[in-house]
Amino acid sequence: MTDLFNEILATLSHNKLRTALTGFAVSWGIFLLIVLLSVSQGLVNGMEAMFAQRDYESMTISGGWAHKPYDGLSDNRKINLRDRDLAMLESKNGNVISSVSARVKSDSTTISTQKDYLTDGYVGVFPSQLHSEGGKLVSGRFINDSDLKSARKVIVINKENAEILYDKDPLGQQIKVGPLSFTVVGIYEHEWNKECYIPYTTARNMAGGTDRVNRIEVGLKNVKTLADGENAETGFRTTLGRAHRFDPTDDSAVWIWNRFNQHLTTSLAMNAIFIAVWVIGLLTMLSGIVGVSNIMFVSVRERTHEIGVRRAIGARPLSILKQIIVESVAITTIFGYIGIVAGLLVAGLINSIAEKEDWTFMKNAAIDISVAMQVTVVLIIAGAAAGLFPALKSLKIKPVEALRDE
Amino acid sequence: MIIELKDINKSYPGVVPLHVLKDVNLSIEKGELVSIMGASGSGKSTLLNILGILDNYDTGEYRLDGVLIKNLGENRAADLRNYMIGFIFQSFNLINYKNAIENVALPLFYRGVSRKKRNLLAMEQLERMGMSDRATHLPSELSGGQKQRVAIARALITNPSILLADEPTGALDSKTSREVMQVFRDLNSEGRTIVIVTHDPGVGEQTNRIIRISDGRITD
Repeated sequence: MTDLFNEILATLSHNKLRTALTGFAVSWGIFLLIVLLSVSQGLVNGMEAMFAQRDYESMTISGGWAHKPYDGLSDNRKINLRDRDLAMLESKNGNVISSVSARVKSDSTTISTQKDYLTDGYVGVFPSQLHSEGGKLVSGRFINDSDLKSARKVIVINKENAEILYDKDPLGQQIKVGPLSFTVVGIYEHEWNKECYIPYTTARNMAGGTDRVNRIEVGLKNVKTLADGENAETGFRTTLGRAHRFDPTDDSAVWIWNRFNQHLTTSLAMNAIFIAVWVIGLLTMLSGIVGVSNIMFVSVRERTHEIGVRRAIGARPLSILKQIIVESVAITTIFGYIGIVAGLLVAGLINSIAEKEDWTFMKNAAIDISVAMQVTVVLIIAGAAAGLFPALKSLKIKPVEALRDE
Repeated sequence: MIIELKDINKSYPGVVPLHVLKDVNLSIEKGELVSIMGASGSGKSTLLNILGILDNYDTGEYRLDGVLIKNLGENRAADLRNYMIGFIFQSFNLINYKNAIENVALPLFYRGVSRKKRNLLAMEQLERMGMSDRATHLPSELSGGQKQRVAIARALITNPSILLADEPTGALDSKTSREVMQVFRDLNSEGRTIVIVTHDPGVGEQTNRIIRISDGRITD
């Protein structure tokens, strides 16, 4: 093996400029491939990071305005979602719904401690709220089922608000929500959300009899494709349309945020970008590979006499073939690796700029090890392919060539 | 009998097929120093190609050291060349990016001999040729005579049955030619069988037997 390598090293260094020029084409192709892959990976990561904070197998439904006349009713009616819609959605669309939760919001209730107060109001929620909003519990616990069942007066507050309201650990402390006294059971953090969460049932009781809900969160199951997501959405509109007497095709009657389809569409788009990047990268590389193949042809042509001499002193045809192919793989791999390293450096630079400038759409612009392996495999295959035809040509060289004068 | 040719015929196909060798019969004993002489176009080179297993012949029989050389595959032919024949060429045919010792060791590379052992044996041969002080020089750094000595060392390293030299002095001045011929005579006196193909009568005179070839036939 070392012998083979020394042979190759000798032939490559024999024609330095030519080797360098050919190598540059390969390096350039790989460089572009790596940079493009890194940047698109960064975009995908950025996208994923935005989604990761949310439960994307869910939809949010809230009331809107009916704009189409329906069932004898005129247009421009406000549609208010009701508590009973939850049970109805679940029973009519049970095949796609894993859970239903809702929230009621009070915008103006003052929340206060002896130290300070907030005027953001509160939200009554189900236990699943934390996950679907993408929040993270810092200490204590979130609203649970028994809180809901007995409509307990407990509250979960944002970490930043906790610092405003308390000097000490807020867990277990009393807090005033309007005129009522609540107990802090948990602290959470979230990128931008600062709402104060109390159990849904408690909030309903405080709202004084009205059964209006602001938003219904529907957790999905058995939904795999865009069409599934579409159908589920249509099902919800139909159910609600019947209950609230609006045209199911009246998109503005209820507002539905179909996170599932949104996520799926984005993922598909990202995959398309990835495929496009591979295609562009590989095509760029192809021109480099053609260069290598070309140079190997020239090399075989130039070394016809030398190959003849080698054959005359006892080289088997296959050993010549092997030498040409390994040489081609060596050029491609060595210069390919230069391209990979340069590409990684530039990707790192882009990444550090992205971090410094706080680009949320890009995160960790770098390829992972599996992609590096894929690129390596592509390199070796490409090198072998580039060397194949020149090598086959070398097989045709007869040992008699040794006797011909140059 | 180290070389035995029986009724060898060889023609090159073409619009008008060219009958190059016509019923060539030839025997060379072990330990002979023989020259094959002929004008260009006489079939001398074709005969050399056949003797060196570089080319096939159409009819007849060629035995080299008792082995029938006929219709061989490429690999078998390559192996026989490696084990039985030491080539020496007019233009030396050293590989120009390899130094002297690497050039000498090359035939053993194709035998799969380890690098260390190869270089050791190559050094021995260079010493015999009085070239050990030039072992790491590239061919471009050697004179014509020195190059031919390196080439002879390369031919000898496999300890072949015959040495086959094609115009070995054709590219050398008269003084160097004499030196190289002396090397051949010395090797012959050690028992080597040497066949020299040449058109130079001066070279032919220094061999023990001259085989003349003309128009595809052996004439003497």
